[in-house]
Amino acid sequence: MTIGDGITGLVGANGAGKSTFLKILLGLVTPTAGTATVFGHDVVAEREAIRALVGYMPEHDCLPPDQTAVAFVTFLARCSGLPARAARERTADVLRHVGLHEARHRLMGSYSTGMAQRVKLAQALVHDPRLLILDEPTNGLDPAGRDELLGLIVRTRVEFGMAVLVSSHLLGELERIADALVLIDGGRLVRAEGMAALTGETTTLVVEVDGDAEACADALRRRGVSVHRERSRLLVELPVASLAGAGAASEDAMAVHDAVRDAVVEAGVGLLRMERRRSQLADLFSTAS
Amino acid sequence: MTMPTEALAPAAIHDLGYRRYEGPRGGARMARRALFAQGLRALFGIGRPARAKAIPVLVLAVTLLPALGMLAAGSASRGQIPIRYADFISGQLILFALFGAAQAPELLCGDRQHRLLPLLLTRAMSQADYALVRWLAIWTALVLVALAPLLLLYVGEIGIARDPAATFRSMGTRIGPVLAHATLAAWVLAGLATLAATLTARRAYATALTIGTLLVLAAVAAGLEDLSGIPAALPELLDPIRALRTLAALLFDEPTRGMEVAPPPPIPVFVASLVAGGAAALGLAWTQLRRVVP
Repeated sequence: MTIGDGITGLVGANGAGKSTFLKILLGLVTPTAGTATVFGHDVVAEREAIRALVGYMPEHDCLPPDQTAVAFVTFLARCSGLPARAARERTADVLRHVGLHEARHRLMGSYSTGMAQRVKLAQALVHDPRLLILDEPTNGLDPAGRDELLGLIVRTRVEFGMAVLVSSHLLGELERIADALVLIDGGRLVRAEGMAALTGETTTLVVEVDGDAEACADALRRRGVSVHRERSRLLVELPVASLAGAGAASEDAMAVHDAVRDAVVEAGVGLLRMERRRSQLADLFSTAS
Repeated sequence: MTMPTEALAPAAIHDLGYRRYEGPRGGARMARRALFAQGLRALFGIGRPARAKAIPVLVLAVTLLPALGMLAAGSASRGQIPIRYADFISGQLILFALFGAAQAPELLCGDRQHRLLPLLLTRAMSQADYALVRWLAIWTALVLVALAPLLLLYVGEIGIARDPAATFRSMGTRIGPVLAHATLAAWVLAGLATLAATLTARRAYATALTIGTLLVLAAVAAGLEDLSGIPAALPELLDPIRALRTLAALLFDEPTRGMEVAPPPPIPVFVASLVAGGAAALGLAWTQLRRVVP
């Protein structure tokens, strides 16, 4: 599996192994089997090289309540090897970017969950990494806070040009921001694909007719086409190979389309809509389990 | 409370823009220095709320004020009242122990309580770096705390003398024992406090564990004294506070009456056993620190 540029979502139920997978990439956990590389560096042998390139926002609380956000983020910037002055400047920069400029000199114990998540994001950004690894960044946030944080994540991608690997057990929010999706379950990879492929066209043709749908379905069946009724709609199965979309397979698919046309005429119903069904991300879970 | 939305307005962000960091990255050396400085500041409560400053301020005040008082008395009596270093430091050792017991957990337990390690270990820092630098900060803080009153006394005694130059000539070499005693006291107490703080993530437990260990060792040493067939040196060496007291008397050449009756083991024995005791505690703490899973 290769994770490319852009925002990659890591989905799985609680305990599926999302955090462990991220910790392996970070070199915090040594894999029991297999290998992984980040920017071409092996996660076991070349931890140091990876750490300069990666920013990590953990899932759990990690903010000492008796420190200010400025002191904390500056300290972590210095732990990434930045000189004192650069650390202070970068800290002011990233805290402003995450929208914490006003509260940055307050003790973090007084922060709301939303503010705490922003500090955690800021500390992951402060050393200007190439890849941002975010473990459940929206955990514990209310819907508004969730939207704001997702917006911030998209901005780190679009404006800061960082690749983002973000885990969540909520498919909906990843659907909104991710370019690609990795689905894991029980420590095993289920699927890893670009968003377009995952939500792409299926081999089902949805036909909506105005009139006697059953008559139309019968007409189709007589033409040797597999049809299911779904309320007033007809679900017509295209040849599986038609997804590839070229050559003979494509012609087979066109033949089915022609059959639909002929059946509609024969049954004397009006054709309202005919389109390929797009898959829903939520289907991934049902097919996976 | 959430942030005002205008702080998040995309327009404001666009105006400011994101700047990449192209400057130098110091790597592990810079990270170690930052961790050491942060640790030392935290141990003295610098940049922390008042609550974190309580123990450092208390210990420094209680150890430094008597030194000033002795110097004042010595100055008023024109050197007639002799300043006895060993007596002075003996009473303060338990305060140094208190400083270590209270402040070492501030660092080590705090890091684990707030789960700071995953953040540190994903930066330019290894687990060994972390363990070593944290311990070094605790030791350094204890050296400073243990050295401050003795050094004040030493510099003050030369300063208040009628002829500082002559006094310096006569007691210039005393700086050796001053440094040696503070370093050794810090070595043992830092080892013990670090070990206790690695055994539990709860600060209060770690503090109690350090103080409790010292009390138990003192009690055991006192108990052993009454038993026959046990070498006389053993109780002397088993209790670190007592060993440091006796060592002070030997180093500063201020023997007590009891020592004249039953001479204690020679200085190298004390030094060796204190170094070994501190090293053992440190070794155990090291294995604990290396085991901390992020």
